[in-house]
Amino acid sequence: MIASHQTVLRVIIFSAVLAGCGGNVRLDPPTIPAPNIHQEQITVAVRMPEHFDDFVHEENVLGREQWRIDLGNSNAVFFSQLFSYMFRDTIIVEPDGDPWQHSIDALIEPSIEAFEFSVPNQTKTDSFAVWIRYRIKVYDRYGTLVASAPISAYGKSLTTTMGGDEALQRAAVLAMRDAAALMIIKFEEQTLFKQLADPSTRLPAVADDSEG
Amino acid sequence: MKTNRFASILARALVAGAVVATASGCVTSRVENAREGLTGINTKSGESVVIMAKSYHLGNETEAKYITCIENALARGSSGLNVIPHQQFVDSLFPWFEPRTAPSETDGLPRLMEKPGVADKIRDQNVRYIIWLDGDTEKVAGGGSLSCAAGPGGGGCFGFAWWQNASDYDATIWDLQGLESAGTVSADVSGTSFLPALVVPIPLIARTQAAACKGLADQLRAFIVTDELT
Repeated sequence: MIASHQTVLRVIIFSAVLAGCGGNVRLDPPTIPAPNIHQEQITVAVRMPEHFDDFVHEENVLGREQWRIDLGNSNAVFFSQLFSYMFRDTIIVEPDGDPWQHSIDALIEPSIEAFEFSVPNQTKTDSFAVWIRYRIKVYDRYGTLVASAPISAYGKSLTTTMGGDEALQRAAVLAMRDAAALMIIKFEEQTLFKQLADPSTRLPAVADDSEG
Repeated sequence: MKTNRFASILARALVAGAVVATASGCVTSRVENAREGLTGINTKSGESVVIMAKSYHLGNETEAKYITCIENALARGSSGLNVIPHQQFVDSLFPWFEPRTAPSETDGLPRLMEKPGVADKIRDQNVRYIIWLDGDTEKVAGGGSLSCAAGPGGGGCFGFAWWQNASDYDATIWDLQGLESAGTVSADVSGTSFLPALVVPIPLIARTQAAACKGLADQLRAFIVTDELT
């Protein structure tokens, strides 16, 4: 009887210790709904960076909690989906592939410049928040860099009864949806891709002000 | 000896369970509405409503389970409204109802309707009203002292704790027929929960969020249905 009580006590203490140790979250690739936009009638190549296939971010929170989020290939899947909705034809190019062997109107190079998240212990709230800063570089058909835009996305999700892992996953997915919304709005306002569709238009080169 | 102790613990647990099942903390609630225009809904022709949370970009923290509670409460019963699940609505209109892009005022609705596919998707789902929820449930005060101990021979708690929760929610109703605001309904509920413990803790919980859900949903239904024939 005493042994049984001690076992229960050990389980409770072990669970409590585990609960205070943070989490290890793996994100399944999100599905972006088909956006309500005019599809640009151009062919683009998308060169995904290597870290899009295996992105992991770790954070020590106040020296007590260790949180790890593994996005896997979520970013590659996310951008493939998004660009296939935005453009008539999308060609995915390997990190070391040559996009110019295809007949394209533009080359897009997305990348992650910064990734951060906060957990309830830090903010003294019930929410998890994720910030992702993407950099989207666009080259015209001649290989000239014509746009280099930062996209700062944010997602926030309240802790659920299922625990913090689910809330952190949800916040990451919301941040990616936020990035998609922001990209659509930004490029629609700039009418960049409409100009790239016209071969007679030469856009001025822009400075490469990315960090990496 | 062991049988007697087990019977005693079982009896205590049953008494505690009965008390918890029948008792709860005190709750006070106030539900109000401010009308700006005529409302009404033809549920027979399939007109429906959507419940949305105001954006967290605006500092709002309405809980997902509160939205679901309002959705279920409005749809329940023979006089229930047709409620489109909010995630289905948001996905169908992607990216125009994301936290960053959703219109914060009715002034933005005409421009939104001009976006490709938006007016068609809203018409296909027969959405007459969008109800925007704002607010949350917070612990506003608390006190007391409660300690528990466990050992090989058993365990127990002793003491008394209390806390006060406030559930304050506003619902703004947009009429998509006239692209205008129809008015607002608000529910402010506060309640104090108690946790006395003499070996077994007996929680007397004030369910403020549940009360705010029921109060707001009842008032919303009356607000929307009132004027026109259903």
